[in-house]
Amino acid sequence: MSAQTIVGALDKGDCRVTVTPDSTLKIEIKTKASEMLAEGIEAVVQGVIDNLPGLSPCHILVEEFGSLDYVIGARTETALRRAFPALGSTTPSTTPHRELPRDRLRRTRLYCPGNNPRLLVGCELHGADVVLLDLEDSVPPVAKGEARILVKHMLGMVDFPEVWVRINPLNTYGLEDIPEVLRGRPDGICLPKAEGKGGIQQLSELLAKTEKELGIPEGTTKIIPIVETARGVLRADEIAGADERVIQMAFGAEDYTRDVGASRTWDALLYARSAIVAACKANRIQASDTVFSDLEDEEGLVTETRQAKSLGFDGKGVINPRQVAPIHKVFDPTPAEIEYARKVVEVAEEAQRKGLGAIAMGGKMIDQPVLERARRILKLASMMRQEVTK
Amino acid sequence: MKKNAMGRMVPDKIGDRIVTPYEGIYTRRPEGRKAARWQRFTDNQGSKVLHSIDETIDRVGLKDGMTISFHHLFRDGDYVINQVLDACARKGLKGLRLFSTALFPVHKPVIDHIKSGLIDRIEGSMNGPVGAYVSQGGVLAQPAVLRSHGGRWRAVEAGDVEIDVAFLAASQADVMGNATGVFGKTPCGYMTYSGVDAQYARKTVVITNELAPYPVFPFDIQQGWTDYVCVVDEIGDPDSIASGTLQITKSPTRLHIARLAAEAVKYSGYFKDGFSFQGGAGGISLAATKMIGEEMKRAGIVANFIMGGVTKLLIDQLNDGLCRKLMHGQAFDRWAIESLQKDPGHAPIDVGTYANYDGACATAMLDAAFLGATEVDLDFNVNVNTHSDGRLLHGIGGHQDVAHGASVAIVTIPTLRGRMPVIVDEVTTITTPGEVIDVIVTERGIAVNPRQPELKDRFIKAGLPVKELADIKAEAERLVQPVKTPVFGDEVIAVIEWVDGSAIDSVFKVEGWK
Repeated sequence: MSAQTIVGALDKGDCRVTVTPDSTLKIEIKTKASEMLAEGIEAVVQGVIDNLPGLSPCHILVEEFGSLDYVIGARTETALRRAFPALGSTTPSTTPHRELPRDRLRRTRLYCPGNNPRLLVGCELHGADVVLLDLEDSVPPVAKGEARILVKHMLGMVDFPEVWVRINPLNTYGLEDIPEVLRGRPDGICLPKAEGKGGIQQLSELLAKTEKELGIPEGTTKIIPIVETARGVLRADEIAGADERVIQMAFGAEDYTRDVGASRTWDALLYARSAIVAACKANRIQASDTVFSDLEDEEGLVTETRQAKSLGFDGKGVINPRQVAPIHKVFDPTPAEIEYARKVVEVAEEAQRKGLGAIAMGGKMIDQPVLERARRILKLASMMRQEVTK
Repeated sequence: MKKNAMGRMVPDKIGDRIVTPYEGIYTRRPEGRKAARWQRFTDNQGSKVLHSIDETIDRVGLKDGMTISFHHLFRDGDYVINQVLDACARKGLKGLRLFSTALFPVHKPVIDHIKSGLIDRIEGSMNGPVGAYVSQGGVLAQPAVLRSHGGRWRAVEAGDVEIDVAFLAASQADVMGNATGVFGKTPCGYMTYSGVDAQYARKTVVITNELAPYPVFPFDIQQGWTDYVCVVDEIGDPDSIASGTLQITKSPTRLHIARLAAEAVKYSGYFKDGFSFQGGAGGISLAATKMIGEEMKRAGIVANFIMGGVTKLLIDQLNDGLCRKLMHGQAFDRWAIESLQKDPGHAPIDVGTYANYDGACATAMLDAAFLGATEVDLDFNVNVNTHSDGRLLHGIGGHQDVAHGASVAIVTIPTLRGRMPVIVDEVTTITTPGEVIDVIVTERGIAVNPRQPELKDRFIKAGLPVKELADIKAEAERLVQPVKTPVFGDEVIAVIEWVDGSAIDSVFKVEGWK
């Protein structure tokens, strides 16, 4: 065992925890406005200690820079477990069980780097339909361990509209990610670089096993595969239909363009996008488009979102909170669309009552697909209203 | 000690002056005549020029126990206050009352002058180290007094504070004492605060580093108000006027607050051609002001006026035709000053016009305004003076003036600063009563004062995330363990005046924690 274990950083929103083996257990807190804050911080540390049975005596120094309880808790747990590898893992006690509707409104999934407290704080507040806490690309290999513990603690304390964790591929760090983050009960797990049925089924089995161990009702943790390779696009149908847990499939253009050597233009990606939408719709799941990476170009974002919507996508990835509102605006039906849909449904229901066969409205035939589209718009509109009034 | 209408304890007297407890926002009306001004005569006809501060102190007859006044337009770049106090110290003066509009970290030497006995009373804002020092208690002969911009103007006119000598930094002056802060080598911006000091002081000294040919025009301070023009090498550093707080925030949380605040204005019912608003200089207000500008462009709306501390952002909005007039309270960067020199739509107004407590000041013409806070409580009361640890670290600025004047006063706050909750059960110090605060915007939602049910309806109809303040508070508190709060003793560190001169709260010495 090394003499000292240090986790975290002296950055705003973060804290640094230093663990040193000692003859007795001591907690030392360094913070601004110590008279006001030290006791509360000590309570957080004590809470972690109470959930780590078998902890050896040590000196725990917490240097705090405006970090919330879940950050302090995570950094403390990470440091203690690194110092004493035999220790188990804590389970946040505050997360209630829930299972969200499969077809919940998911216009946006906001990517948040899983090891950056400054960017994580408040990420649930920007109005994104889904928050995606990332353990993959935004977390360097050395930080994977502390990131998954931070994500777990955040999941335990923060009230998200819907939250997924993007784990690492199962052949890198993914197997270690799952048992840790599931303790925080995320609504879904995003699997990057999905390339076939096998990976999804393996993930589903792992989830089932872990759910059982943690006392989570089986099948409640959903899977969102991200298709971002040529192989994945070719097997999109297989991936989308691989498991009951899959509720949505997302497209990742960054890796895809690299994989096939394409440039990032609409035309170059049209096949992949179309294939993904068709696979999703054939398997009755939602389709979500890739992120738009130029933050400054709101017009470009809106144009691409419109195109994605017209292809059949139900949502889009988001890399910055300010992209949320423009995307929602595109996916939300306009008042005119809602009004038209309402009329279509009215006329159709009226015709049904009267036992009429063919129905026309304003000289246009209302057939089954038109009626279904109208019902979908009304449903979207009602979900939108629920989001607003929540 | 007496209890005022907010339930806060205020002292009976400050020095010899009887303290009036706060009774309500507009219960106390100005009565009778204003204080009398002094007649002036310049014996060396044709020139008021002196060449050193030491000589000036002798000529104005500055004595122990007198009151000296300054302005803070150079903010953290001011050299004048320190120079004058050092000269006073050299003369061996004692017991002066310091009546600067505000003090900044650059004025840290004031602490030594308090220790030496040169200064034994302060009335004015203390931003930073001097405030922290005074907060320890036992260092001043009587409680400090904090007033809003308008409240300070009123206090001088009403005779609550009699200024013996006003030392007014001006970047250009002529031999007769016409003076400006807008022109010259080191401009600080229009001398919006100083008209009342110059007119009411027993002796008025313009301190300048640039003597210009007679007459200096346009002037902020006119020759009939001045007794002496003291020429020195340096008066301040214009580059230090802009401080770090004058940057648009980059924090996603704060940008989110700004976005909600801009939406609140948009759906307030006042957002139409000819409306008006006051931007703030804090990171959130700046961002919200920028977003309102973008909304105005989209909607094809022009504001009759935008008012407040002026930054490049407001200059750009003026030049983009987003407002018909820019009413200038104070320059916050060099672009603001450059614009004053050339843009006819950029109208400097003295603080009396801006915010004097006469029921008809410019703030009363405001539709909407953004304000900050160190704390707010469930009654919408706002604290801008003390931190939750009880230390007095900020002035009032225009907070009270704008809050009671604007039709929709919007306070923008994060719910947590680090681990410190910003929404509390009871604010440490009441600066502005909740009665005049209409909306509190946080990253967790928008709370509307129950006194404004129509505004609340408009926000709900627009789909804004309207919540109860108590719910927002509870949401934030879930993320941090409870913090301890100060236990206060009996010693009054400072009295916070409401705009009408009554005492709305006291700042007490911290004795412990609970």
